[in-house]
Amino acid sequence: MAHISSIATDTVTFEELAALVAKKRDKEAFATLFEHFAPRIKSYLMKHGLENGHAEEIAQEVLITFWRKATLFDPQKAKLSTWLFRVARNRMIDLKRKRKYPEVNADDHLAQMVSAERTDRPIEVKQDAKLVASALGILPKNQRKAIELSFFDELSHSQIAEKLSIPLGTVKSRIRIAFNVLRKELGDQG
Amino acid sequence: MKPHGLIGDEWLVSYAAGALSNVHALTIASHVSYQPEMQEKIRAAEAIGGDILCQEETAAISETLLAETLAKLDHHETEQEAAINKEASNTDTDIPSCLRDYLGANLDDLNWKLMGPGMHQVKLATGPEGEKLWLLRARGGTIIPEHDHRGTEMTLVLRGSYHVGSDHYTPGLIEIADADVLNHQPMIDEGEDCICLVVTEAPIKLKSFIGRMVQPFIGL
Repeated sequence: MAHISSIATDTVTFEELAALVAKKRDKEAFATLFEHFAPRIKSYLMKHGLENGHAEEIAQEVLITFWRKATLFDPQKAKLSTWLFRVARNRMIDLKRKRKYPEVNADDHLAQMVSAERTDRPIEVKQDAKLVASALGILPKNQRKAIELSFFDELSHSQIAEKLSIPLGTVKSRIRIAFNVLRKELGDQG
Repeated sequence: MKPHGLIGDEWLVSYAAGALSNVHALTIASHVSYQPEMQEKIRAAEAIGGDILCQEETAAISETLLAETLAKLDHHETEQEAAINKEASNTDTDIPSCLRDYLGANLDDLNWKLMGPGMHQVKLATGPEGEKLWLLRARGGTIIPEHDHRGTEMTLVLRGSYHVGSDHYTPGLIEIADADVLNHQPMIDEGEDCICLVVTEAPIKLKSFIGRMVQPFIGL
């Protein structure tokens, strides 16, 4: 079958393509994004237990959601992969648990807003996946495992503790340390 | 030293990964709604999720899927945001919107059940590992019966305040009492009722004879 998309993704970023979808309703740009992301989203969903046909259907739904909501995507705030990850994650959880995953609404502006903790520099938006691959690579194996069991297997802290036969406190500190290494690593190189 | 009243990063990572039960996810999302810095951390963790997604192997998709999807786009064009028509039947503007959506009714209108002297509760849900999600409303000045824990107890303050020893908890702050916390005795500050969202991981053990007597009735 002839591919509709002919845009070379090495000369244009996903975020630029997303902007074309948002502003020009550009189907060629959409098709390019689809061809890149649909197979990966499908793979992610299958790892989380969805069967082949269902995973494909949901991957399609995630991309259609992007088409519909493209104007709400703000490349200043997030990378497209982050946005799609969030939609895929929420959709998968809705399906598996028959309940909406509770989301933080950044516009809540609660009167009591406290800022008790200083955080390090926020992660740079322009980091790319290769950097994350290398950042994951510098983690000690046991920390990396804890991160992967969270993202790939949706295991809770106590389930990870049980699976690896280590104390719960160790699981928590491994995730905490790994996350901060990743944030620093990605933030510094961004 | 852990910062006082804030949840550890491991919970933010698990939230972003989709690895929390709905009971914990709602509690963490509510807590984080008060904390812009933690929202930033969740975005960072979700960016890691997005990068992991990018590195996924590519599953084979059916040859016609792209064409089918493109054909559907025009149909979806008209949908826009019409579908988003939430019944915002909770109008408590002082609590996180994820919690408002979940409760569906104002805090004052919930079916509060007497739980002990000065204390009422509303049971909300039970998680996959038996963890219980509930709301506590305690009158100002109430002393919660002293108890030990057999699992972690998370308490997010929504209204009013309380203290445990020298630690003070106000709206938006969360108290984590781990299994090894003994003789836990929160004291509600004088004044308005204190309302908290609580996740209790395992049955708590009440110390006093009276406490043990009422335990079966309060269902903790």
